[in-house]
Amino acid sequence: MKTGIEVKDPVTDGILDRLMEQPAPFLEVLHAIQDHHGYLPEPALRQVAERFKIPISDLYGTVTFYHYFQLEPKPIPDIRICENSACCLHDLDAISREVVDVDLGVAHSGQVEKISCPGRCDMPVPILIGEKFFHGARAGAVENMTAATMPLPPETGLEECLFRDIRDGIDTLAGALSHGAWESPKLAASDPQEVLAQMNESGLTGRGGAGFPTGVKWEAVRSETRGPKYIICNADESEVGCFKDRLLMAHSPHAMLEGMACAGLVTGAKIGIVYLRWEYPEILESLQVAIDEATQAGLLGDDVCGTGRPFRIVIRRGAGAYICGEETSLLNSLEGKHPFPREKPPFPTTHGLFDLPTVVNNVETFCAVPAILEKGGAWFQALGLGENAGTRVFSVSGDISHPGNYEVPVGTSLRELLQTYAGGTPDGKAIQGVTMAGISGGFVGAADLDVALDPGSLTELGAMLGAGGIIVHDETRCMIQAARESMHFLAQESCGKCFPCRIGTVRVTELLDELIEHSAGNPVIRDNPLEELADLEEVLGETSACGLGLAAPFITRTMKKYWPDVVQDYIDGQSAKNPGKGDSVE
Amino acid sequence: MSESKMNLDGQDVTFQEGETVLEVARRLGTFVPTLCWDERLEPFGSCRLCVVEVEGHRMPASSCTLGAAEGMVVRTGSDKLRKMQSTLVEMVLSENPGDECPRCRDLGSCEVHDLATEFKVGRNRFLGATSNASMDDSNPFLLRDYDRCISCYRCVRICDEVEADHAITMTGRGWNKGIATAFDGLLMGSDCTLCGQCIYTCPTGALADKKMVNQGSVPGEIEVTRSVCPYCGTGCSINLHSRDGKMIGVTPVLGGPVNAGALCVKGQFGFDFVNSDDRLTRPLIRKQGKLTPVSWNEALDYTASRLKSIKADHGPKAFYAIASGRAPGESAYMLQKFTRAVMNSNQIDNCSRG
Amino acid sequence: MLCVGTNMTECHPIIAVRVKKAVRKGAKLYVVDPRKIPLTQYATGHLPLKLGSDVALFNAMANVIIQEGLADLDYIENRTEGFEQLKDHLVPFTPEYAEGVTGVPADLIRECAIAYGSAERAGIYYTLGITEHICGVSNVQSLCNLALITGNLGKSSAGVNPLRGQNNIQGAGDCGALPNNYPGFQAVDDPASQLKFEKAYGVPMDPKNGITKIAALDHAVDGRVKSMWIVGENTLVTDPDVKHTTKALEALDFLVVQDMFLTDTAEKADVIFPAAAFTEVDGFFTNSDRRVQRLRQAAVPPGEAKADWWIIAEVAKRMESGVHFDYSSSEEVFDELASLSPIYAGLNYDRIESGDLAWPVPHLDHPGTPVLHEDEFVNGKGKLQLLEYVPPSENPDDEYPYYLTTGRRLPTYHTNTMTGRSSGFRILVPNEWLEVHPADAEKLKLEDGDWAKIRSRRGEVMTRVTVTKTSPRGTMFMSFAFPEETMTNDITNPDVDPITETPEFKVAAVEVTRIESPTGFAAEPALRASPGRDH
Repeated sequence: MKTGIEVKDPVTDGILDRLMEQPAPFLEVLHAIQDHHGYLPEPALRQVAERFKIPISDLYGTVTFYHYFQLEPKPIPDIRICENSACCLHDLDAISREVVDVDLGVAHSGQVEKISCPGRCDMPVPILIGEKFFHGARAGAVENMTAATMPLPPETGLEECLFRDIRDGIDTLAGALSHGAWESPKLAASDPQEVLAQMNESGLTGRGGAGFPTGVKWEAVRSETRGPKYIICNADESEVGCFKDRLLMAHSPHAMLEGMACAGLVTGAKIGIVYLRWEYPEILESLQVAIDEATQAGLLGDDVCGTGRPFRIVIRRGAGAYICGEETSLLNSLEGKHPFPREKPPFPTTHGLFDLPTVVNNVETFCAVPAILEKGGAWFQALGLGENAGTRVFSVSGDISHPGNYEVPVGTSLRELLQTYAGGTPDGKAIQGVTMAGISGGFVGAADLDVALDPGSLTELGAMLGAGGIIVHDETRCMIQAARESMHFLAQESCGKCFPCRIGTVRVTELLDELIEHSAGNPVIRDNPLEELADLEEVLGETSACGLGLAAPFITRTMKKYWPDVVQDYIDGQSAKNPGKGDSVE
Repeated sequence: MSESKMNLDGQDVTFQEGETVLEVARRLGTFVPTLCWDERLEPFGSCRLCVVEVEGHRMPASSCTLGAAEGMVVRTGSDKLRKMQSTLVEMVLSENPGDECPRCRDLGSCEVHDLATEFKVGRNRFLGATSNASMDDSNPFLLRDYDRCISCYRCVRICDEVEADHAITMTGRGWNKGIATAFDGLLMGSDCTLCGQCIYTCPTGALADKKMVNQGSVPGEIEVTRSVCPYCGTGCSINLHSRDGKMIGVTPVLGGPVNAGALCVKGQFGFDFVNSDDRLTRPLIRKQGKLTPVSWNEALDYTASRLKSIKADHGPKAFYAIASGRAPGESAYMLQKFTRAVMNSNQIDNCSRG
Repeated sequence: MLCVGTNMTECHPIIAVRVKKAVRKGAKLYVVDPRKIPLTQYATGHLPLKLGSDVALFNAMANVIIQEGLADLDYIENRTEGFEQLKDHLVPFTPEYAEGVTGVPADLIRECAIAYGSAERAGIYYTLGITEHICGVSNVQSLCNLALITGNLGKSSAGVNPLRGQNNIQGAGDCGALPNNYPGFQAVDDPASQLKFEKAYGVPMDPKNGITKIAALDHAVDGRVKSMWIVGENTLVTDPDVKHTTKALEALDFLVVQDMFLTDTAEKADVIFPAAAFTEVDGFFTNSDRRVQRLRQAAVPPGEAKADWWIIAEVAKRMESGVHFDYSSSEEVFDELASLSPIYAGLNYDRIESGDLAWPVPHLDHPGTPVLHEDEFVNGKGKLQLLEYVPPSENPDDEYPYYLTTGRRLPTYHTNTMTGRSSGFRILVPNEWLEVHPADAEKLKLEDGDWAKIRSRRGEVMTRVTVTKTSPRGTMFMSFAFPEETMTNDITNPDVDPITETPEFKVAAVEVTRIESPTGFAAEPALRASPGRDH
């Protein structure tokens, strides 16, 4: 029993007073409290609950959902190290041992904790201490920390859209303006119908993975009479193997902000929110600078680019939750609700943030808008190969010579991307298979490397293009282990709401673990693992409530498709003759 | 209200605006399994057992969240759906320990085990990690055995939507989800009012009524009798559960006109005073200063004769009756009739003045 | 919604559910209560008025509503009388004046009045925090004034709604267990009603009102009442000034008590009848919103315990009065009641099966009356009352420097005869405690778990202490659920409202002193736990 003598945290009251009138302040309030105290103290949360009129129990539950909200003080941070598909190709155990003794100039507790992918697969293995990232840690060379790389110019000489000026310093406002940035909002204000026409002609579809036509989405929100409306930029890129949005925001922030402003002017929204994943602290800083510069220059704010129309943009940070990249989870997260996905319909275009009409687009999608409006929809459309429209950015990592982001025409073959653009495997080993969509799109095996990188072609193979993350596995890798790592990530990141996904992703991971352990001489418990797997796949793929669970079977189905003999060998306990066995090839 | 038509399993059926496909199907007696659904709660769509096939939909849809629509063609219970439902039930069973659930043992089955029986499946496949979240909560009423929790969140939702107490919440995520009070404390000391309604929506033995379960395996059928709560003036409808003429528990009447399926701690758990050892069981008369058990005849005759003589000696106004605001109305009516017609005065009141 | 003097989440939890849900849907809630009760955490505003200052507050609110032009003039014209006089009467009742009397900031009074006055539908909910005062009637009337001038009487989700504290307290009144009313609120002094009951019962009726229970206890002391029959009430514990009540009961020649348990009152009896419990009989309860609902037998009474109606009928038969008391079931009793009470005329056991009907139900085809006074009031126009603020009869002074107010706690009902015997409840609330504001505690050198002696002009009790901001400074709170240990009503105030004779349980002046833990009590922590947060 409490005595009712309340302890109030004046800092929290100050934060609440400062932020409550801001758009969707919930996440920012929690971050501000945590930034100040190092964690979220109970009295502070009670004050937040009171101010937001959220029951304290629900607030507590919501806070526990995220990886990076802390309820206990932790003055000296642990060492966090990514454990997912691209990074676990390296010897994580050795790195974990060695990193403790390396002087990185940051105090740490000496405890090592595995974390979900922080979107730095191009610089494996990333290490996070407090809010500072170190990159490129390898066994035996942990102190060798590399920095992020600029995308290479296309060897093919093909025309780019997203990367066209990216190597020319357009990360500053001055640089961006010298390359013609911030022109399109005028058109968006004066002739929104023309903008929609160009968008529709361009064939630009959502680059977050779902692929919905962007022009149609904007048109739907524009036609809604309710308001206020919102423009949300989904920068919660969280899937293993995907890191394109990080690059775009770092080097071309004004294209994204300009794209958002156009969306606002076309649809009538006055507020834009960038939902930025917590794991990109350097982007938080640089993007805020870009927003502030654009606002000071009158490009954002009360009078966007001299149009007389208001549009302002704020950043809201996530706190470590892959599911918040699902657009309806993202909306719940912003609102301070438990970040479960919502039932669809209704869709965000009619019932989005705070139940109001909302555009949710991916970073890359917004980034493409200024060029489309400058050069015309037809121009963008023509960038694609064959029937395909435009270009898109692929994040390539794993066993590859030049891990990084590549903008290629939609329809380019997978082999060309890997060999011509990314330089093939580092030591000339054969490619055994690659993951798609990051990891949730399943695998493409060596036999199908000529597949065209467009959504339809991948679907035909039983895989999914998704958000364009590709992790290369060479011939020495164990693909059962690779499938296990993919499924393990989904199990870690399942929100836990719907039964098939919550239970199914864990059960498939366990089943693959069992096969892998069986190869080490342990008995298989299950009578019929393949039948169990098939039943789990069926339920996952047909009854799950959102894309996370629905996509999960791509992984094991393509695993069985490309490496049936390997699977059978594992079932038989005969894995020794197969590559990898989960070992590192450092 | 407008009435429209849809097709369910080949039959044209009518539905009311706002009805879900599940509600239509249930209303028509069609078997659609559910675990996360409760008529008192908003549809949640988490267990996915209620999936149906909808013409024009690529994927099965959860019927609890699917609004019925004009011309919609829906099929329940195809072989494919039954197989997936059966797999889902097996998956749910795999989450929990395989031992006997105390609630099933003492009170018959629970919803999960009913479905296991329906689909003729057991806890044989998909074995792996189990919930393993049992909680020793020292409160006197609610058993919290989260080893058996299937995370349907009906308890959380009934606490929010029906009782508006918001005492418990969903914590964590994915497999590491849980049910907890704010800051993970015990129920007592949290916003929990111990109303116990989470128990009666729980489809497993994860939450149970300590009073009911502690009865153990007593033979005899449980009888359920609808009545009204004896506490405050709200008038909540309750079901009395009795076995061999003895009260063993109370549950809310789901469609109770006042409480709509809600109860408070007193209504839910404050019933067993009727079983108290110190109930008066025989009439008593004070003899030589001592209250002495007597027969009904003696007590009634004695009372009648004393009241008669008091009326005769001191007049009608020497008598006074106080009726109970807790006894049935018939009690008050009879006492006023007695006072007015037998004692010939209006010397009667009830306890509303304190 | 305006909730006045009702600790709803603890005393009417299921009604509180509706209030909480309405708040979540956006309804505004103002809580008027001296204590920071749990409901205040849902409130738009909390008006912590001084004990017994209700009339000053509500007069000021009415004043604001009129000044701000929020009065419903059409409604006032058509359905009320006395508005002009009220307007004049209210002039001195400014929010600033009320602030001085009630301690509630004038701006908050204004805000609450404007919110109430501008709501399309505004309901007032009150319980004994309004009525258990020497000015209980004025308090209620001051609320009625508010509802009348804003047109909030006679439509749904509005009105002035008393929440009844006991399951069938409404039913007991409906059935004529009142000194001035036959069943159905037919006046005892109305010749037509007298005739009706004389005909029905076959004996002459006393044309004069009886006295109230409170007066009857006085009459017992002075010898005018010689005999009492008490059914299911622990009078000794529930009435104020226990010493006086004890004296009254002991002065009786003959006391009959009919109960389930050997209560303190039963201990004084000459004859005790063992009564069946609600689970062991058929019958009906009528709730706060006049809904007549059926209870049904589910269990067998222990030993020879019997239904109340049977016991009374058997005594009556033995009195050889010639009046009909030959019933074979409770249903027959109900049918007779329905035949004599116009508000129940359309009811029988079949019709109350699902509890959907609220009285009046004048005939068998009538659908019940969920909202009263829809078109007109029973007595024509609603009379606006000119009310004066009367301070409580006892106020803190040098000798008794604190207010004491009383009420219930969620897990203990009344005198704990039911909850205390239901397993588990004593774990939730093991004993009585005095709630003291931290500032008062500091002054009195009291800490959580200490013992205190609480003394009033009538007596003294001892109990444990808890320090909490729930109680405002200068006001202490206790329940009366642990009479065996702490007889709270030994010290409460027996002064009554002149009209209803309801005692002022809610206000007494007391002195509080810290004492050493008395022997004979287990070394129990003051509070092991209590469900529901203490805010």
